Formats: sequence, C-alpha cells, structure tokens
Amino acid sequence: MTEIKSNSENIVEVKDLVKIYKDGNVKAIDKISFTVKKGEILALLGPNGAGKTTTLSVLATLLNATKGATFVNGYNVAKDPDKVRKSIGFVFQEPSVDGEMKGWENLELHAVLYGMPKKERQVKIQEVLKIVDLEDRANIYVKNYSGGMKRRLEIARGLIHEPKVLFLDEPTLGLDPQTRRKIWEKIKELNKGDLNMTILITTHYMDEADELADRICIMDHGKIIVMDTSENLKKQLSGDVIDIQFENVDNQFKFPMIIKQVKKISGVKNISFGTAGNEQEIIPKIQLPPGMPATVSPEMIQARMREILSDPRKLLMAWKKMPMTANMFLSAPLIAKKKIAYMFDDKLLEEVPENIKQELIKIKKGEYPEEEVDIEPSLSISCENGGKQLPLIIQKINENNLIIKSVDMHQPTLEDVFLHYVGSVIREESSNQTKDVKKMIQMRQLRK
Amino acid sequence: MSELSNTQTKINYNAVWALAKRELLGFWRNKSRVISSIAQGILFLFVFAGGFSSLSITIDGVPVDSRAFTASGIAAIVILFTGIFGGMSIFRDKMFGFMKELLVAPVSRRTLMFGRTLGISLQTLVQVLIMIGLSITFGYYGYDINLIWRVMLVLPVALLASMGIVGVGLTISTRLNDMQSFGLIQTFIVMPMFWLSGALFAFNSVPLPMQVIMMCNPFTYSVDLFRLMLLGVSYFPFWLDLIVMVVFGAILILIGARSFNKMEVS
Repeated sequence: MTEIKSNSENIVEVKDLVKIYKDGNVKAIDKISFTVKKGEILALLGPNGAGKTTTLSVLATLLNATKGATFVNGYNVAKDPDKVRKSIGFVFQEPSVDGEMKGWENLELHAVLYGMPKKERQVKIQEVLKIVDLEDRANIYVKNYSGGMKRRLEIARGLIHEPKVLFLDEPTLGLDPQTRRKIWEKIKELNKGDLNMTILITTHYMDEADELADRICIMDHGKIIVMDTSENLKKQLSGDVIDIQFENVDNQFKFPMIIKQVKKISGVKNISFGTAGNEQEIIPKIQLPPGMPATVSPEMIQARMREILSDPRKLLMAWKKMPMTANMFLSAPLIAKKKIAYMFDDKLLEEVPENIKQELIKIKKGEYPEEEVDIEPSLSISCENGGKQLPLIIQKINENNLIIKSVDMHQPTLEDVFLHYVGSVIREESSNQTKDVKKMIQMRQLRK
Repeated sequence: MSELSNTQTKINYNAVWALAKRELLGFWRNKSRVISSIAQGILFLFVFAGGFSSLSITIDGVPVDSRAFTASGIAAIVILFTGIFGGMSIFRDKMFGFMKELLVAPVSRRTLMFGRTLGISLQTLVQVLIMIGLSITFGYYGYDINLIWRVMLVLPVALLASMGIVGVGLTISTRLNDMQSFGLIQTFIVMPMFWLSGALFAFNSVPLPMQVIMMCNPFTYSVDLFRLMLLGVSYFPFWLDLIVMVVFGAILILIGARSFNKMEVS
C-alpha cells in the first residue's frame, strides 16, 4: 500500500479506492477519491448498485478495499480497524436491531461492545434515547416497534459511543413523510449542535440530499460522476427544464426519432426519456418454509426481500445460491419481472443463471406487448430559453402524431441534475436506437 | 475480511458475557422453545426409555437397567440438538442484519465467537439438566443420594461435549446462505450423529460393521462418557472417551472459529 499521510482537516479521506467483489468479478467501486471535512454532511447519491453502500462499508471496515487508501478520523482503515470502529457510528440500510431484545437492551449491548463502563452506559443510553424521543419505549421488545421507531433506535445506537463520523445508509428508506422529517431534524441537530458530527449519508431521495447535505456526490457504476454543493450543481444546468407527458401510446418506436429531431432545436441540451409505470407491490405473500425457528416473522423476510429486490447484485447472488428465489422470479407477475429486468444491464446479464437470463432477455426485447399499455411515456428536456423553444418542440411532437397529456416548465432541480448526469452517461454507451429507448426506460426505473 | 479481523485478537470479557447473556435471555424469553424442549424430553423418555424397557442390556458384563441406559443416552443427545441448532442462531443474525452491528463493533471476532459459544453451551447445559431432572423424577435412575454427585460430574462433560458441537453449528451457519439447507443438515449431520452414537441401543448388540461406523462418530464417545458419569459403566475406557472428546472438540471449534473469521456479510 502506498504511504499517504492523512490530512488533519479532512476527517474522511478516500484515495484511489477500488473494490472488486470476488464472486462475480464485479467492480463495485472503480477508483474513487474524495475527502470530507470535519462537520460536513456529504450525501452519496446514485441509482441502485452505484457503489454507495460499498463505499460506506469499506470506510466502516466491513469490507476490505481491493486497492487504495482510506482514512477515517486520521486512522488508516486497513491498519487500524479498531480505532476506526471506535470513531464511527453506522446506521445500516436494513434493520439491524435485535427484535428479541428490548430497546434498552439493544443499546446496552452496543455500549458494552464499545467498552463503556457501567455508569457511563446508563447516562449515555438515557441521553441518546432522549435525542430520538424513545425514552418511554425503551422497555418494549423491538419486534413491537414500528418501522420509524426501529430506525430511530438504530440512530440512537449509532450515537451512544459519541462517534466522530456517522454513516447513514438510506436512513429514511420506506418511512412515512412525517417520520422522515423528524429524522432529518435529528440529523441536522447532530451536525449543527455541540456534537458537530461529520455525517456521510447515502440516499435515493433527491429532496433528502438537497435538504441535508453540504455537498452532494453523484455516483454511478462505481465512479464519482460529479461532486459539488447542491447550489453549484443546479447552476450547471442553466436554462429551463421542460417535462412533457404523453397519453398512453402504442407507437413508442417514434420516440428515438422525436428525440433526434428535438435535439436539433437550438438551445436544447439534453433529453431524457422515461415512463411512469404503475407501482405495484411485487413482493408476494410468503409462507415460512418448515424448519425455520418460530422467531422469524414473515415481515422480517419481506423486509429482507425488499432490500434484495432493490439491488441487482444482491438479487444475482440470491438466484445463484437459492434455487427457490429463481422459481419465485419466474412465477412473479409480469410487472414485477419487468422492474427487475430493467435493473440488469448487458454486462450484469451475463452472470444471470440461464433460465432467468432467457426470461429477462425476452422481457427486454419486449416480447410481452400487451403489458406496454401500462406505460405512460414522458420526455424531460433541458434547454436554454425554454419559453421560446417550447412551441417548436411541441410542433415537432405534433408532426409525429403523438398526443400530449401535459407540459411543465420549471427551473432545474436536483432531480434534473441527477438525471442529466446519470442518464446521459448511460445513453452515450449505446448507438442502436431501440436499445436506446430501452436503456432510457431502464434509467427511469432505476431512479425509483 | 480475514486480514482485518486478524489484526485484533484480544478478547473483551465484558462483551463475551454480554453476548452469552443475550443468547441465554433469548432462550428463556422464547417460551415456546423452553416448553418444546421439555415436551420433547418427556416424549423421548416415554417413547424410547419406556418402549425399550424390556430389553436386557449388559455393559462390560454388568447388567444395566435399560431405562437408565436410554435416559442417559437421551440426555447426551440433547447436547447434539441444542448445540447444532443453537449455532444456527448466527444464521438468524446474519439474515436479519444484527450480525453487521456486531461486526462493525470494536471487538475481535474471537470475542464474538467466544461469547456465542459460551451462551449456547450454557443454554445446552440447562437443557441437559432439565432432561436429567425429568428422568430422575420418573425414577429411571432409581432413587439414590449418590445421583447428586453423578449429575455434578456430568456437567463438565456436557460443557466439553457441547463446545465441539457448537463448533459444528458455527461452521454450518456461517457458511449457510439459505434456509432450505436446514433440512439437509438435519438429514446428513444431525441424524447420523444421533442414530450412530449408541444413545438408544447398546453398542455391543449391533453387527461389527456398524460398530466400526459408530466408532468413527466422535459423538459416540460423548454419549459413552455421559453413561460412565451417570451409570458408572461404559464401553470404552475413560481416557479414550476423554481424549477423543478433547481432540475433536478442539478441532471442531477451531474449524468453527476459522469459518467465523472468514465470514463476510454484505
């Protein structure tokens, strides 16, 4: 390993980090470098499988880096894992509290693991419970907590040992808007208050990143695509964003042509194509296989499945290791299969077991046309002087006999920035036009 | 992963105890587990010890009460079942994320593993005691004040035996990635070790080839030592039982520790 001295002003330093997973040979992180200053909130933003969680896992000593150096709180992550572990708190993406223990006991065990003496433990646990408003629930079994309470308990647990850096992996995933707000407030308090905690947060939600982060780092395919403040990122997309929604149309094949024509209009910088399919519960009701301990509840398994379904790589592992899941996929409703199919690009598809691969390819080729009815296509066009160009764009669309449902013009948001960066990178890779549309659909799906 | 964990080997005994306590509390609070383990014990005792009561068994030329014979075998078997499926609690933690919380904590893997092994072993001990207590209540061992000493002697044997078995459980559960393999383990590991241990039938009453197979099963020696402690008679000499148990216990727990060290949780 190359000797790189840690700079005291940066509490997190990542230098040329590469992580390749042994099984599958996937480059999860492809040579990224960044630093985080003391007291800063950094949001890692990106589609599923972009490498956000992997990055945090390496920083938190859960995974070994394949190459590169990482420092947290001045300690080398590879050489001083113990000291790093003591300096960080980690709130995981999926629940990691023990439902069979009471809230207090979860915190107590954590405090013991972090080597806190008994007296200090009592005081500290009381303190963190207060921070997350769970004082009156501390003596209830965690399995009886609501999703939001579990989340808050996990945040409390991450705070007991007063970490210098707090890692939050999708902290508000699947929570209701009020609880999300509440957790945001807590996060801000931790960052702004006396604690002045440095926080690294991964998220899919643009509003979350916009609200919380001092700086935003957009990642895709294991690379950092852009990293700046939300303000600066939005400034880069000068001009306006025009969103056009279409009525359900069968003639989707026309879109690549329209995109080509609209691109020629002066001032138009970027176009992305998307569809608003119906959201559907794709996790089936499951019955416990025999032999599982009675302590395992179907809800827990569903939560786990939800997590696996959101990450193509985890899905891949599941298929390979559990034949049962492969059968579940094959018998899933088409809309669910489609959702999954669009998560796999050609490269990942190579690793999929043969029978599933056939099915995925069929879906991607569009061999189930009756389902296309569900899709409501839309275009998102970023362009200078939107007001002036809008009539021209609409004219082009009318020439192609497509029916517009609604048009919306607005200043660029972080979402547009994200789409601009993550969307365009993918689009440049392919030349084939129909493939182009499929890829764009895929991007929209990923973003959800 | 292994490189990371190897850099720290110190054992944090507070953490070990906290983890063991978690294991024990989990057992105690899960009333269905407590009840089912007692009910299963009663069933086993009635079916096997009762059913085989007419058999005449002699060990080393000494006639043995067949109910006492079977009851002591069943007490040993409890270690096998509880130990292996107790080790599976790791699988539960892995499945539901708690393992990550443990792995990211500043304690060595050795601490984590030691805590869990201790917890499960103690839990096994409790169950063995329940089983022996039931047998005594039913009068299978006769009523004799000396039983107290014999039971005391059984405890260290049970602890030693359960360590090795927990090692097997740890190895399996750290490598296991799906629930369906539970059945496989039941069929290919637990059942053969159970039936071929001589817990239910007399070692010298089966044909020679089977005797050879039984002698290859390390658990046979645990059962034998159990009998020596409880009934005062055994097929194999004391020293052989002890050596096999210590050696196998050490090997199995080392293999368990290795797999635990290598475990990666994504």
